[in-house]
Amino acid sequence: MKLDKESIIELLNQKGVEVLDLYPNQISVNIKKDNLLNHLVFLRSIGFDHLSFINAVDFIDEGEFELVYHVWSYTHKIHVLNKVRISRNNPVIPTIVNLWEQAQFYEQEIHEFFGIIFEGNKDLSPLFLENWVDIPPLRKDFDTKEFSVRLFGAEIRR
Amino acid sequence: MEDLKANDKRSYIDNLIDFFRKRSIWMLHYCTGCGAVELPPSMTSRWDIERFGIVPMATPRQADVLLVTGYVSLKTLKRIIKIYEQMPEPKWVLAFGSCTVNGGIYWDSYNTITNLAEYIPVDITVSGCMPRPEAVIDALQTLMEMIQSGEGGAYKKYKENYEYYKKNQDRVLRKTAPILGSSETESIYQEKEGNYET
Ligand code: SF4
Repeated sequence: MKLDKESIIELLNQKGVEVLDLYPNQISVNIKKDNLLNHLVFLRSIGFDHLSFINAVDFIDEGEFELVYHVWSYTHKIHVLNKVRISRNNPVIPTIVNLWEQAQFYEQEIHEFFGIIFEGNKDLSPLFLENWVDIPPLRKDFDTKEFSVRLFGAEIRR
Repeated sequence: MEDLKANDKRSYIDNLIDFFRKRSIWMLHYCTGCGAVELPPSMTSRWDIERFGIVPMATPRQADVLLVTGYVSLKTLKRIIKIYEQMPEPKWVLAFGSCTVNGGIYWDSYNTITNLAEYIPVDITVSGCMPRPEAVIDALQTLMEMIQSGEGGAYKKYKENYEYYKKNQDRVLRKTAPILGSSETESIYQEKEGNYET
C-alpha cells in the first residue's frame, strides 16, 4: 500500500524520532546510535526496501562523525536520510549487513576512509587503498597537502 | 637514405635497424587519468596515427612504447612498473599531461604521485592538460626522430640507475611507518584496528 509523505512522518513521529521535511520526496531523520537498528528495521517493515548508500561526514569541530543512511522505497517513492552522530574518539556503530547485504561494501569503504568501526561486520579489509599506514585519509585532521609534499615531493610554489 | 649513412658513432646497420624500428612503433596505452580519451581520435580516421606505423598493442610483451595517459595513483604505479618491466627492450615511455610531471591539479592528493620520472625513466613528456591529438602526434614523431638518431635510450638509464628508481618505488609503495606524525586520534584508531585483521 502506498503511503504518502505526511503519513510516513506521522508514523515516525509516533515512534518518537524527529523528522525534518526537506523536499517533496525526501525527508531527513535524526536518530540516536542505540536506536539505529530498531529504526531501520521499522523503516524496512513499512516498505523501505532499498539502501542506496551510507555516507560519513567528519564534523571535527564538534568532535563527531555523522553517518547518513540513505533509504529509498519503491512503493512510496520517498527517500529517507537517517542521520546518526557518533563520537570521534570512539567511532563504533553496529553493522547493518544483516539488514541489507550491500552495506558490506559501504561499511568497508567508510572504515577504510574514516576509521569508523562497524561492530559485527566480519570483513573490514581495505577496498581501495593498498598498504595504507597513516590515519584514514578522509578524516579532516589528515593533511593531504603535507602528505603529498613529504611522500611525493610535491612542490608548493607561490 | 641520406640519414642511414654511417658516422663515427653509429654504423650503417644500426641506422638501418632503427629506420625500421621507428616505422613500426607498437604502443601500449595504459589508460590512467583523463588522457585516454584523446587516443581514440588519434588512432581513428581523423588523425590516423597508423599512417606512421603506430598501432595499439594488446600486451606489454609485444609493445615498444608505453603511453601513460595522465595522473598515476599509487595502485596504478605498481601496475605501470610491472608492465614497464615486462616490455622487451628497446622500449620508450611517453608521459601525458602536467599530472605526470608535477602532479597537475592533483598535486596535493594523498594518492597520486607527482613526478612519474622518479619511478620509471620517461623519454618524452607531452605538455597540456589534456594534450590534443596534434600534440600526441607531435610527440610520437619526435620519438621517431629520437629513435632514428639513437637518442631515445631512457630504458638504459633504468638498468644503470636501478637502485635509484627502486628506492623511490619502495618509498611510496612499501611504506612501513606513517608519513605524518602521530596524533591522538591515530593511536585510538590503531588500538581499535587491532580487533580486526586489516
Ligand atoms: S594533466 Fe589534466 S587531463 Fe591529464 S590527467 Fe591530469 S588533470 Fe587529467
